[in-house]
Amino acid sequence: MGKSWLKRQSLLGYAFIGPNMLGVLLFFILPAIYSFYLMFTDYTFMNPEIHFVGFANIQRMLGDELFYTALRNTVVFLLSVPVSILLAFLVAVALNKSVYWKKTLRALYFMPYITSGVAVAFVWMLLFQPTSGPINGFLRSIGIAHPPGWLSTTDSSMFAIDIIWIWFMLGYNMIIYLAALQEVPEELLEAAKIDGARPWQTLRRIVWPLVSPTTFLLLITGLIMSIKTFGIIQAVTQGGPGSSTTVLSLFIYQNAFRYYEMGYASAISWALFVIILAFTALQWIGQKRWVHY
Amino acid sequence: MDHVKEERAGSAGQAAAASRRRLRKFEAIAPGRALLTLVMAGFALLMVVPFIWMVGTSFKSPAEVFVYPVKWIPSSLNWEHHLRVWTGPDGFATYYANSLKISLISTAGAVFLSSLAAYGFARIRFKGREPLFLLYLSMMMVPPQVLFVPKFIMFDAIGIYNTHLALILPGMFTIFGVFMMRQFFLGVPGEITEAAFIDGAGHFRIFFRLMLPLAKPALATLAIIDFSWHWNDYENALVFLLDRNLFTVPLGLQNFILENTVDYNGMMAAATAGIVPMLLVFLIGQRYIIQGVAGSAVKG
Repeated sequence: MGKSWLKRQSLLGYAFIGPNMLGVLLFFILPAIYSFYLMFTDYTFMNPEIHFVGFANIQRMLGDELFYTALRNTVVFLLSVPVSILLAFLVAVALNKSVYWKKTLRALYFMPYITSGVAVAFVWMLLFQPTSGPINGFLRSIGIAHPPGWLSTTDSSMFAIDIIWIWFMLGYNMIIYLAALQEVPEELLEAAKIDGARPWQTLRRIVWPLVSPTTFLLLITGLIMSIKTFGIIQAVTQGGPGSSTTVLSLFIYQNAFRYYEMGYASAISWALFVIILAFTALQWIGQKRWVHY
Repeated sequence: MDHVKEERAGSAGQAAAASRRRLRKFEAIAPGRALLTLVMAGFALLMVVPFIWMVGTSFKSPAEVFVYPVKWIPSSLNWEHHLRVWTGPDGFATYYANSLKISLISTAGAVFLSSLAAYGFARIRFKGREPLFLLYLSMMMVPPQVLFVPKFIMFDAIGIYNTHLALILPGMFTIFGVFMMRQFFLGVPGEITEAAFIDGAGHFRIFFRLMLPLAKPALATLAIIDFSWHWNDYENALVFLLDRNLFTVPLGLQNFILENTVDYNGMMAAATAGIVPMLLVFLIGQRYIIQGVAGSAVKG
């Protein structure tokens, strides 16, 4: 086992990771570097001449009212993540032990998640139809004379998207919670019962703290996943009406492929990266400090 | 702390088990449990009602679409919407063929290439392994939005923009897959491979003959996740495909809906075409799919 052995090991190692590394280099690393460069240029698809413009794109972004609108919309969109997690926790607890037909019910709750988000978004688009759709038909029938305009008005559109997203994510969060609940020791729950704890107390004081690592994981990964999503929003509202559902990731897409402002779009995409970086840092810190039994 | 908990839980557990045994005799239908089942079934109905309404509407006549109270079952079955959606040069038959081709090739490539790399990272000691792995780790944080523009320019330059290759080639590389498989290979005990090494087997033989067969469950999980990711991918198709005959299912669906904005029956027939086949696959393989999804999150 001399130097030649080590060298041979290294070559072998590269042989194994080489094919994958090549693809990662071509489709991740080089584009990322290129995008970083584009951030400082005035590149548009229409004008192939690239000029270096320094921090102009970043200055433009920080002065762009639409950028702040997109940030606000993103925050409202991300509110759906904790709501979906909380609902999923309750559903998972209910479906863990205390019902009949467990498997069937679990499958039903999980169903939205395996369908293509874009396809179901179109179904919701019709359900939300403001004048004659079934949801507002129902609301009128129970006496609400002026139900919301859902996707069609600027003050309700983002919340309508939230409802779709909560519905879509619920099943996934539930499945992960169900897996976590299997780790909660049965004896602990029985002991609480014997000590006279009410079900709600057991849930709050024992189960909820015990699954806190899962909650934290779901929260961070859910936030990161959601902030990157724009498919369902692009499909049903294209960011409208006005710019009321233009979230950050959609704003980037629009700048790049609707207005072909690719230098500017690159700058905003790196702002998105910074937010994701912050979430990831939170995850690292949280894993060390916040999550414990 | 844990010790005390365990001890306390242990004795309580025995008592509880005994009381459970006593209870079981009377456990015909527990009223509380039945009530909760009903409540949860009610909410479950709320989860699937959009699908029921979608399929119903796809068979209705145009006049029936928005009748209230909702007509869940149409008064007559109108098949013509479905026929129109599935056939023709830009029908769902074409979109399905495209989606299937792209998803299958990408998934096969991704599963193979990422397990190969994962084995390298997990079981071979080579120079620069740690920094390289850190580089992979950091690439996971880069959102697709950062990569769309440069990839668009690159693909346009090498002539694969607006071809299926623009989705298949990048689709064969998944950093998540490398992570997941690396985690699995790290967990395989060293004794298993040691014997093979002593018999003179090299890394390649061990990888193909020993590790891959061992990794079947993990490979299946990765394949399911990766496939569903490609199958439902709308955003990449939106950016990199232009011609209708190349469209995948989500993109074809969007296209149909943009062009038929007032034809609600047609829209729901198209949505049914986009959703129902996948739902059937789910109902058949739900056990594996749910396991796969649950397993991925714990590792990812």
